[in-house]
Amino acid sequence: MIPLARLLAKRLATSLIVLIGVSMLIFAIARIIPGDPARIALGPNATAEQIADLRAELHLDDNIAVQYGYFIADVARGDLGISLYTNRPVTADIALYLPATLELVLVAGLMMVCIGLPLGIWSARWRGRAADNIIRLISLLGVSAPSFVWAVILMLLFAFYLPLFPIAGRISDSYAISPVTGFLLIDTLLKGDIRAFGNAAWHIVLPAFALALSGIGQAARLTRANMVETYEKPYIEMAQSYGFPARRIANHYAFRPSLIPSLTIIGLDFAAMLGNAFLVEAIFAWPGLSRYGVAVILRKDLNAIVGTVLIISATFLLVNIIVDLLIAFLNPRIRYSQRPA
Amino acid sequence: MSAPTLDIENLKLGFKGYTGYTEVLHGISLSVNPGERVALVGESGSGKSVTARIVLGLLQELRAARIEGRVRFEGQDLDSLNRRERHALRGKAMSMIFQDPTSSLNPVFRIGDQFHDVLRRADPRITRDAALGRAASILAEVSVRDAVRVLNAFPFQLSGGLNQRVMIAMALANEPALLIADEPGTALDVTVQAQTLHLMRKLVEDHHTAVLFISHNLGVVREFADQIYVIYKGRIVEQGPTEAVFDGPRHPYTRALMAAVPRLTGGGIPDIDENSPDFGAPLETHEREGRQ
Amino acid sequence: MKRTLAILLANPLSLLGVVLVSLVVLSALFADFIAPFPEHRGAVVDFVNFNKAPEWPYIFGTDLVGRDMFSRILYAYRISLILGVVVLAIAVPIGVTIGLVAGYLGGRWEYALMRLTDVFLSVPPLVLAMSIMGVLQPTLANGMLAVTAMWWPWYTRLVYNITRGEKEEGYVLAAEVIGASRAHIIFREILPNCVPAIITKMTLDMGFVILIASSLSFLGLGVQPPTPDLGSMVADGAKYLPDSWWLTIFPGLAILVAVFGFNLIGDALRDILGAEQ
Repeated sequence: MIPLARLLAKRLATSLIVLIGVSMLIFAIARIIPGDPARIALGPNATAEQIADLRAELHLDDNIAVQYGYFIADVARGDLGISLYTNRPVTADIALYLPATLELVLVAGLMMVCIGLPLGIWSARWRGRAADNIIRLISLLGVSAPSFVWAVILMLLFAFYLPLFPIAGRISDSYAISPVTGFLLIDTLLKGDIRAFGNAAWHIVLPAFALALSGIGQAARLTRANMVETYEKPYIEMAQSYGFPARRIANHYAFRPSLIPSLTIIGLDFAAMLGNAFLVEAIFAWPGLSRYGVAVILRKDLNAIVGTVLIISATFLLVNIIVDLLIAFLNPRIRYSQRPA
Repeated sequence: MSAPTLDIENLKLGFKGYTGYTEVLHGISLSVNPGERVALVGESGSGKSVTARIVLGLLQELRAARIEGRVRFEGQDLDSLNRRERHALRGKAMSMIFQDPTSSLNPVFRIGDQFHDVLRRADPRITRDAALGRAASILAEVSVRDAVRVLNAFPFQLSGGLNQRVMIAMALANEPALLIADEPGTALDVTVQAQTLHLMRKLVEDHHTAVLFISHNLGVVREFADQIYVIYKGRIVEQGPTEAVFDGPRHPYTRALMAAVPRLTGGGIPDIDENSPDFGAPLETHEREGRQ
Repeated sequence: MKRTLAILLANPLSLLGVVLVSLVVLSALFADFIAPFPEHRGAVVDFVNFNKAPEWPYIFGTDLVGRDMFSRILYAYRISLILGVVVLAIAVPIGVTIGLVAGYLGGRWEYALMRLTDVFLSVPPLVLAMSIMGVLQPTLANGMLAVTAMWWPWYTRLVYNITRGEKEEGYVLAAEVIGASRAHIIFREILPNCVPAIITKMTLDMGFVILIASSLSFLGLGVQPPTPDLGSMVADGAKYLPDSWWLTIFPGLAILVAVFGFNLIGDALRDILGAEQ
C-alpha cells in the first residue's frame, strides 16, 4: 500500500500545481474582458463615484498580478467573492446549484460504465460478427451527436409520444424534500420516503441517459479497441489453449488488462460530462449549474465565472486523481512496484 | 497395440485472404505414441505452429481457415467432434506450453488464480484453497520450493525461468495425455532454458505424457526427442528416430539445419572467444544461431 | 493514397461515411444553388408561411418567422465546415509542434509544456470554451478562437506520446549520430511518423469540432442570429416541443449526420493507417 500512498501524494501535488495554473488561466481570461465589470454590475444609472467605489472594492485598479494575489488569498480562505448577478457569495450559489448537476453527472457516469463497458466486451468477444457490427454502429451514433440533440430526441420519443417519463424537473411538486446533501436520490432515502425516491429516480432517467449516450458510445468503442488488441496477446492464446470458457476469457482474461488503458479516457469522458450537463439541463429544465453558469457568463459576472470554472476544474481534477488511483490499484505493476511509477 | 495419442494424416491447411487462397500445409502426416516424445523441427513459417493449433482445435474456430485431412486424438477423429467436444479436450486431455512464459501468463492476475482456472478444467468445483494446495504440490515437482510466494505473485514479479516452471506445472496439472510444447523457453536465457527442458523431460517421463515438441533448434531437440520430423515449407521432408536422423540426414534441408548447429556437425564453428565464461555452456552456441 | 481510398470505398460503412460527408460538403459548397430559398439565410420574415410543418416546398418546415428550415440548414453547414477547417488549421500545427518539442527535448521543456497542456486539459472542454466566449463578443471568429484554445492540447498529448516512443528508435539515434540538427530530427524524422495518427484524429475531430461549436451556439455563446447555425436552431426550437418538432429535429439530425459521417471515415482511416504502420 505504500506505493499507492506515495502515488496519491505525488498526484495531489501535481494537481495542485495544475489547479493554480487553471486559476491563473481563468483569471487572465476574465480580466481581459472588454467593458467595465463595475459599470455592468451597477447598471446604467450608477454615478461615477459609485463605480469608483466598486472598482476599489474589487481591486480593479491594481495591476493584474496584484489582483491575482488578492484573489488567490481569498480562494485560500474559501471565499470566491460576491456574485454581481445574484448579490450572494459565489460559494453559496454554487453550493445551491452544484448538487443537482453532480447528481445528474454521477448517474450518467454510472450508466456509461454499466452499459458502455459490457457493450464493449460483447463487441470484442464477437468481433467481426453481426453483434459486433451492430454495437459498433450504435456506439458510433452515440458519440456523433451532442447531448442536447439526444436530449431532444429522447424527450420527444419517451416523454411526448410515449409518455413513459416526465418532461422536466427533478421531482414532482407534490413532494417536499428539504435538502440535506442536495442529492435528491440520497435525501429522499434519508427521509425514508421511498415513493419520493422513486419519483426522483423516474425524473433523472431521461436526462442522465441523454448525457450518458456519448460516454456509453465512447466507453464501448474504447473497450472494444483495447480488447481486440489484447485478444492478440499470448496470454489469451494460452487461456484458449487451456480451454477456459470463452465468457471467462472475455470478462476476465481479456477485459481486465484492457480496462487499465481505457480508464484514463473514460475518466476524462466522465469529467467532460460536467460541461455537457449544461446542455442537457437546458432541455430538461434541470435546476443545476447550467442556467446559473450561462447567466453569469452572459452578464460578465467575473467572480461567478471564475468561481464556477474553478470549482468545476477542481472536481474534474479530483475525478482524474480517483481514476489514477483506480488504475494503480488495478495494475499490479504499479501497486506492487517498489518505486512509484 | 493401442492407438497412437496423436495421429495426423495428410493434413492440409489454407487461408482465405484478400489476395485469394494461400495454402500453408500441403499434406503432412505424423504420429505420436503414448509416452513418446516427438519433435517437429523447422524454421519459422514452415507450418509447425499452425499444426499445433489445429491439434488443439483453435484454428478450426477461424472462419478464414480451410482444413483438410485427418487428425486423430487417442483414436478419435477431431473432425467428428463438435465444437464443445473439441473444447472439452483442451486443458484436460491435451495442454500446451508456449515460447515466452512471462507474456503467456496474464499480467493482472496472480499465478494462484490462473492455476485455479487451469485446475477447474478437470474439476469445475474445485475450491480456491484446494486448487492452491494442488498447485503447490505440482510446483514442488518442478523444484519450486517457495510455492506459496510464487502462487501469490504476479508474473512480472517472477523470473522467466520461474514462470517457465509454472507453465510446465500448469501444463501437466491435469495429467494430459498429450503435451504440445511450442518452442518452449526460446525467449529465456539459454542456461535457464536447458535447466527447464531437463525438468520437463524428467516430468513427462514420470507422468508418461506424450509430447509434441516444436522447435527450430535441432540441438535442443536431440537432447529431448525420440522421434524427429523435419518440416519445410508445409511439407514433412524427413523423419525418423532421433539418432538415425542425426547420424545420416538424407534431405538437404535437414543437413542445412544441422549446419546451423555448428557444434554438433563439427565444421564451421564461428569465431568465439574461448576464454569467455559462456564457453562452458554447451547450449549457448546452438542458441546464438537459433535466435537469429 | 490510392489504396487507402480504394479500401474506404470498398467497406460499406466507410462508404456510407464518404457519402454522408460528400453530401454535407456539397450542400455547404452549393447552398446557393440547392437551397430553395437562399434569401432565408438572413433576417427574412414571412408571416404567411411561419411555423409550418414539413410540406412542399418547405420539406423541413419553416421556422417561427417563416424561413425555410432546409435552406437554413444548408447554410448552417457552410458555417460549421468553415469553423471546423479553420479551428483545425490553427490548433493542429500548434498542438503538434508543442508535442514534438516537449517529447523530443525532454527535461525542463517537457515539464513546463506538458504542465501547460495539463492546465488546458483540466478544464472540461465545453466549460473552457464557454468562459472564453463569455468574455469575448459572440462572433464566428471568437467562436473559432475559443474552440481552438480547447483543441490544441489534445494534439500535443497525442504527438508527445508518439514522439517519446520514436525518440528511442534506431533511425532517430542514427540521425543524431551523423549530427543532424534538432529541427531536422523533429520535423523531418519524427514528424512523418506521427502523420497517420494526426490525419486520423483530424478526420474524427472535424466532426467533433462541429459538435462542440454547435453546443456553444446552443447555449447562446456562438454565432449570433440571423446567421443560421445548427446549435442555436435547436435551442430556439426546443421551447416549442413537441408541437413544432421540426424546428429541433432537423437541425439536430443535421449535426448527427455530419459528425457521424466524419466519424465513419475517421474510424476506417484508423484501421487502414494503423494496419499499414
